[in-house]
Parts: sequence; structure tokens; C-alpha cells
Amino acid sequence: MYFYPAPVNKKGMFEVRFHGRGGQGAVMAAQTLAEAAVNEGNYAVAFPFFGAERRGAPVLAFTRIDSKKIFSKTQVYNPDCVVVLDDSLLDTIDVVSGLKPEGIAIINSKEKPEDIDLGKIINTATVNATSIALEILKAPITNTAILGAFAKATGIIKIESLEGSIKRKFGEKLGAKVGERNALAARTAYEKTLMGKSRGVKKLEARKQWLPDYQEIPIGGALIEGKTEAGLIGPGSFIENKVSGWATYRPVRDKEKCTMCLLCWFYCPEGTIHRISDRGDLMTNYDYCKGCGVCANECPVDAIKMVRARV
Amino acid sequence: MKKVITGDHAVAIGAKLCRVEVVPAFPITPQTLIIEHIADFVNDGELDAKFLTMESEHSVMSAAAAASAVGARVFTATSSQGLAFMHEMLYATAPLRLPIVMANASRTLGGPPGIWCEYNDSMGCRDSGWLQLYVEDNQEAMDMVIQSFRIAEDKRVLLPVMPCLDGFVLTHTVEPVDVPQQVEIDSFLPPYNPDIILDPARPAMIGTFMPAEYIMELRRQTAGAVESAKEVIQEINREFTKKFGRDYGGLIDTYRMDDADIALITMGTVTSTTREVVDKLRQNGQKAGIIKLRFFRPFPTHELKKAVSNLSALGVFDRSISYHGGGPVYNEVLSALYGMTIPVIDHLAGLGGRDVTKEQIMKMFELTQKAANGVKVNEINWHNTRGETV
Amino acid sequence: MITLKELSDVNLFTAGHTACPGCGVAMSIRNAIRVLGKDTVVYVPASCAVVFGTTFPYGAWKVPFFHTAFENTGACLTGMQAAFEKKGKKVNVVGFAGDGGTYDIGLQSMSGAAERNDDVLYICLDNEAYMNTGIQRSGGTPFGAWTTTTPVGKNIQGNRRFKKNLGDIVAAHEIPYYATLSIGQPLDFIRKVEKAKNIKGFRFLHMFTPCIPGWKMDPARTVEVTKRAVESGMWTLYEIENGEKKITYKPGKMKSVRDYLLMQGRFRHMSDEDIKTLQMWVCKKWNLHYKEKGAPEVCEIEPPEEHHAVTEEHREMHGP
Repeated sequence: MYFYPAPVNKKGMFEVRFHGRGGQGAVMAAQTLAEAAVNEGNYAVAFPFFGAERRGAPVLAFTRIDSKKIFSKTQVYNPDCVVVLDDSLLDTIDVVSGLKPEGIAIINSKEKPEDIDLGKIINTATVNATSIALEILKAPITNTAILGAFAKATGIIKIESLEGSIKRKFGEKLGAKVGERNALAARTAYEKTLMGKSRGVKKLEARKQWLPDYQEIPIGGALIEGKTEAGLIGPGSFIENKVSGWATYRPVRDKEKCTMCLLCWFYCPEGTIHRISDRGDLMTNYDYCKGCGVCANECPVDAIKMVRARV
Repeated sequence: MKKVITGDHAVAIGAKLCRVEVVPAFPITPQTLIIEHIADFVNDGELDAKFLTMESEHSVMSAAAAASAVGARVFTATSSQGLAFMHEMLYATAPLRLPIVMANASRTLGGPPGIWCEYNDSMGCRDSGWLQLYVEDNQEAMDMVIQSFRIAEDKRVLLPVMPCLDGFVLTHTVEPVDVPQQVEIDSFLPPYNPDIILDPARPAMIGTFMPAEYIMELRRQTAGAVESAKEVIQEINREFTKKFGRDYGGLIDTYRMDDADIALITMGTVTSTTREVVDKLRQNGQKAGIIKLRFFRPFPTHELKKAVSNLSALGVFDRSISYHGGGPVYNEVLSALYGMTIPVIDHLAGLGGRDVTKEQIMKMFELTQKAANGVKVNEINWHNTRGETV
Repeated sequence: MITLKELSDVNLFTAGHTACPGCGVAMSIRNAIRVLGKDTVVYVPASCAVVFGTTFPYGAWKVPFFHTAFENTGACLTGMQAAFEKKGKKVNVVGFAGDGGTYDIGLQSMSGAAERNDDVLYICLDNEAYMNTGIQRSGGTPFGAWTTTTPVGKNIQGNRRFKKNLGDIVAAHEIPYYATLSIGQPLDFIRKVEKAKNIKGFRFLHMFTPCIPGWKMDPARTVEVTKRAVESGMWTLYEIENGEKKITYKPGKMKSVRDYLLMQGRFRHMSDEDIKTLQMWVCKKWNLHYKEKGAPEVCEIEPPEEHHAVTEEHREMHGP
């Protein structure tokens, strides 16, 4: 069963938006899909949108597939399909924004489609790409597994074509063995993909953004500490940027073992471990913990353990 | 007080009278006298400023930007290759709205290298957001350094300004200059007092990484400031005239244009020579006039349109080439006069410092007159250049 | 001397910045600014630290921040310092530049400020490549290291030149203070920042700052890798005060450079011969710094199981 049984040339252009986090390989997935589509005789383009953020931050990538040359050079606003490489993104980003009513959401999740709440009821496919990747690739890089689910759910591309592109593209960069394994991850995901409809209960509030017009923008873009309807701006305003979604693991400290040597507090690159001076204690604010694990690694008495941030 | 001094000296005195606070400097001919004089002022205790001997022009403009962001009044000077070397920083300083004033001793930008006057150094900075103006004599050089700070620091503008003076023709030529009293300048130019500066007491971030959601508004804002500068320039010219009795006309100046039939748009020192040529033409009964283009940015579109409205033909003097035929001024003028039917012809002369003689200027008027008479002439004319003659 | 306990808990570089998890630069900036305090103004040239520290309209810095270009840290510090001095304000004028911005494109500007002995603090955050643009070789890249411009090819594998000796270049300007730092030695780190803060004239702090994607390593081991660098002699902790050089931390018996290399994917391809070459370079340096011969036998290195790389992943994070 495909959500999209018709071949590309009957439906016109097919547009895909990938949601991932820096480091998960969303761009590579978009490119691999494009290459596979071209190998099937279609025309395809893939391109990234790079934000300013680094590893772990949300990123976007796009693929367009058509039977004829594609001239459009804009971003994709009304995709036929969205692919979500990391289901933690569902909490903060409206991943189905602009998705066509008959469009498909493909989500890396251990849940069934019926248990995924996308804020609207739409065709949804899920696959636990993370566990497949961990098992086959020994790393939580889910881009190839999720492509298997894409092939299964959309029917836009044959799984064999994807396997071919993956082997070539990953093999060329990382060695034939890695290519084979990634192709296997795609095939495994293809077979394990569940299809159904999402739930449509939650209301995702669009993140407010301060968008001053040209008269309101401070002269020369120079900012002092300020507050807008959308929150803080200027020096120190990053404090409103919660980055916990980046974390796969988070530290848990055993107070009994802790000697208050303060090394974790010193090393934490985020500044998310605080001293509570009146109690001579430490507190970790998980809102800002990206789960790097330096604190646990450096603790001289082994008082910190890293645990999965989301189960 | 009258002093017989070089253009460079006049510029240096102008900067001193403005009580500049930080002067980063790097030598380049023919700008050197400017920074040498300022170094003298500082070391003799005549000017209480930080004089910084930087190791390149790029560093000059970097230090200038940083000092300006801290709230200091900053002056420097450069020329040619030096201006090119700091090109990147021109694009940093204008949109960050740092009102630095930098004199440019106009000089050919190589290769092949040369040290004499040409405008291809500053013309290439056209789109940086810097205001630029061209002066005719040493008095104007000094007066415009002073006016430049008023324009740059005006809250409606807040942009860097580049007064350009012709290399050697002014920089190394002495002529009498009326030097104003310090007290007069102090009442004309108040201390620089910006709103947001780098100050630990009130932290600011200046020059942050800026995503696409904001940059267009910032560009539009900068474009608006350049536009606002037009009114400010006129205003300050009027105030300066009232106070010091010297009227430069603001964005443009005109000479014998009231009943003129043909005119030449001139810049810099060639304007001066052309005044004598026009007087001679007038003696011969020819109704010739001069439009002196003082500001190249902002470009005085409205003023030009008005000035040429009764002309039969217009000539444009260009001291650099844009490598697609005409010079940059010609193309700006054509664009400004779009929709008007007046013939406009380009006169390229004086590139690389070749002397622009009265005979050549006569020839420019002669060709312009031909165009006025309906005779077909070339649109672009290379004067005093070997090969076919114009 | 400030101890960890006495160190300020005020975050002048706030949480919520967007550096990669385990970023050695973020760690070093946070702690340097803790010691420097709020009467500080920073200049940051083009680098990751501009992007993860300020993205309009947000910022992590709680002290004044300025940025214009890549190659001009020295000059901008000079300009800021001159303006503050003219205004009679006492402010720590501090630059945080990367290795590319210091060893390469910014060398001239840094040299100018050093030679003029301007009263500023120049901090070089050395992560041994152009990381902001996606891991390209700089003058600070060590021998053998993979970068995207020193790829592991069929004919040429990794960087073929040795890390530039920046310390001697800076010290040759006869400045009052130059020191090397590592986040893995907190007390030494704090002491040097504090010392630099209180000296007048041009001061240079050279910080060793691991880059997780650029060095291809586990983010949890950022601090550990700096310690191994010091133990192996790849990084030495010393200071030069008014021309007098002093080792501030001397490791025990020299560890094989292999221990250090094996932690990082960027070295995983290195041949035994290349490791030997690098080991000899380290031994020479060790000998120079510690005035003792220390050349442990170069052990055989196990060949990597496969050509390690997640280059596409890194490219994706850092932009083209």
C-alpha cells in the first residue's frame, strides 16, 4: 500500500521537506533521495537551509522530484511529504506546517501513527529509525533508515533505487562496508514501516518572533538589553533559547557521592550547572543541557551518570 | 586667520578644529601630509587625540570602526590602494552607522600603479553606504571636513563621510585658506554623543550575525539614511554659510547657470579651471555654465534635474572609466535624467593624473554645443588621448 | 589566586547559546569571562563564537560585544582601547579570535597591536582548523590531521605540515605576557587569565579548545582530550612574562602521542610512519620545553577498522 500510488509524472512535482537536527544527516538524506529519483529517470533537486546553529540544532533540507526539469529555486512551502528524523522536534516545531491536505508525514518514532499527535489528522507513517540505526550502524544516524520508510509510504521511489544511491553515495565517502550497512538500514526500515493516520488534538503555538519593520529596527542593528512581545532581545537574551531538545542524554548527579569539587560546574560549556551558595549545593537546569556528558566524564568520584533524556 | 597651506594641511587643520578623538593612520602618497600634520598636532599638544600608527589601511578602518563604536569622534585619511585595501571595512562601517570621517586623496588605483589624480579609487566605493563628496580648493577641503562631521553625526544620517580632494592638484598645492577660530567651530559642531555605544555600564551588541529575516530591513534603513542626508547636507550648508560666509551650494553648486544653454557637470579641481573657461566662453557670447557635482553619494538627482531643465545639451566630465563605455558619473547622470530628452555626452579626461587643460575643457564645451545644435557627436569622448581625436 | 570556590557564578556568557554540545570554545570563553568580569568589552572576529554567541536579535554575551570582520582583531582592540583611554574609562579590552583568525588571516593585525604594545588582551581560541566554515586546514592544524582541505586521499593523507609555532612569533614582539592554557587545568587556567587581566600592555592568552565535529570525537571527552594533549606533549603549558619563560605544568613521564591521536577521528587514518614523524616532532618540542629528552618508543598503531568519517554530517552542520 502506498499513500501515493501514482507515478510522479501524473501528479506533477513532488516536494519533500526534511526536518532534522544538525548531525543527523537530513541534507544527505535529501540528496540521496534526489539521486535515486534521477536514477529512475526523473529530474530532482535537493538543497539545505542552513540556520545559524550548530550540531543538535533544528535543520531543514528539501527535495523536489519531477518528470521534467525543475526551475523553481525557492524553498518548499507546501510539501507533499514531510520527513522528521527526530521526533523531539514535534514538541517545538509544527512539522506539518503547509503540508498539502493529502500529504504524508513520515516520522522517526517508536509509536504507531495513531499515537502521534500532529495537530491534524493526516496520512502518517512511522518507523523506529533510531533503534534500527543503533542496531545496524551502531550510531543514531537515522537518515538512511528514514529513507526506507519514505519509499514504503510514498511509492514515489523504489526501495531498490534508494539502496543503489545509498550504497554509491555513502560508499564513496565512507567506504563500501558503510554503504552496504546503510542500505540495509533503509531496507529494514522499509519493512518495518507502519502506516496510518495521525491524531489531531494538540495545538502548536507558532513560536513568536520579533519582526520589526525598517523604522523600528535599532539603528545599525545595535542592540541593548530589551524586551519585545516575542521575548527578550539583545545581550544575554539567548537565555530564552531552551536547548534541551538537542540532548539525547542528560546527567543525573548522586548527591551522596558528590564532594562539591565544582569541576562539573567549571567545565559545563552551557553554564547550566549552578551553585546554590546558601546550601553549598549544585543544581542543573536541564532547559540548557545539550547532554554533552563532559560533567559525567570528568567527575572524579563518579557521582554523575548520563541517562536517556527521552525514553 | 589666513594661512598659505597645502590641501593636506588644510584637511589636517579641519580635523583638529573638529577636536577629533581617535586618528588611526597609515601612510600613502599623496595623503601622507595629512597624517604627518596630525601627528605633529598631537605630539605638540595642540590636539588631544589618540594617534594610532596602524600597520595597514585595513587595520586603520578596523580601529576606526571600533573606536567609533565606543563613541569616539574618529578621523582618518587614505588614498587609492589604501582605500581599496580597506574596502571590506567600508561595508562594515556604513551599515553599522559609525560616523567616521575619512579624507581621500584621490589617486589612480593600479595597476599599473601611479600616484596621480583619478577617481577610480572612490568610485568603486559607491555602494558601500559611505557618503562621498569632491572639493575644488583647499578652503573647501578644510570646510568640508568640518561639515562632514556635522553631516555624519546628525541623528538622521549617522553614516561615514568621505571628502575627496584631488591628489597633488590640491594635496600638495599651497593656496590661501581662511582658518576659522576654534571657538567658532566649537559652536558649530557639538561633541559627538551617540545613543548606543560599547559601554560595560550598558552592554550593547554591535555587528551581530544577522539572518535573512532582518537584513533587508537594515539595508532599507541604511538606504533611508543616505536619502535623509540630502536634506541634512543642504541644511548644514545654509548654517555654515550663515556662520562663516562661505556658500558651497550643498549637494551641487552652479556657476553662470541662470541663462545657460549648455553646461558641463564637473567634479573636484577641474571645476575651478572650468570657471575661467566659462568666463571666456561667455565673453564670446556663448551661454555656457557649470554644474559642480559636490556629492556623489547621496546622488543629487532632484537638484540635477532642476539645474538642467532649461539646457539644450549637457556634458559630463568623468575622471575615471567604468569599463563598459562611459564613466561612472555619466551613467549616474543618465540614470538621474531618465525621461528627459536633453542630449548628454561624456567627456573622459584627466585619468591617471593627466593634466586637464583649458583647451580640453573648451573642446568639451565645443562638443556639447554641437550636440545642442543637433549635430551628431559621440556619446563617449576620450579627451587628450592618443588615437582618433574627438 | 582565585580558586574554583571563589570564582564568580555570574554567567556573563549565558546559557542558551547555540554552540555544539561539548564545545571547547564555549567552555573557555565562559570561564575566561568569569575571571575578567563585567568591566570587559569583547571583539570577536568571524568565527563560530560570533554565530553561537550572537545571532540577531539574540545574544549570549552580557558584556559589550563587537564584530566586523575576520582579519582585524588586533586593530579593533587597538581602536576600542584608544577610545576608552581617551574617555578616561578603565575597561578590559578583550579579543576572542580563532586559530585561523590569528595564525593566518589575522596575523598582521595581531602583530601590529602586539608591536605597539597596546593595552589589550588577545585571546586565541585554538581548535586547529577553520571550524566555522566546516573544518578546513589553518596554520594551526597539526601534522597528519584530516581536514576537508587536507583530506585523506589515495596519494596524500592529511596535513603535511607541522603546527605553526605561534608562541614564539607572539613572544618575539617582546610583549609583557604570553601564556598557553588548557581548560583541563582549571587552576592554571584561572591563574593565567587573572594574571593577564592585571598586566598592562599587550597580553596574549593561547587557549587549546577542542572542536567536537572538527576533531571527530565524543563530546564528553573535550576536557579529557586536552589533558592527554598536555600529557603527550602535543600542547605545553607555559608562560612568558617579560621575556622570561616558565613552564607552569610539567607532566610526569611523557605519554605516547598515540594515546592522544586515538581519541580523535581526525587522526585515525594516520600511518605508522606519519605517527612516528609526529612523535619525533613532539619529542623535539618536549625536549625544548622541559629540557629533557623524552622519546618513548613509537608503538605500532592498530590500523583503523574502516575509513572513519562522518564528513557529510559535519558539512551539514557547518554550512558549505
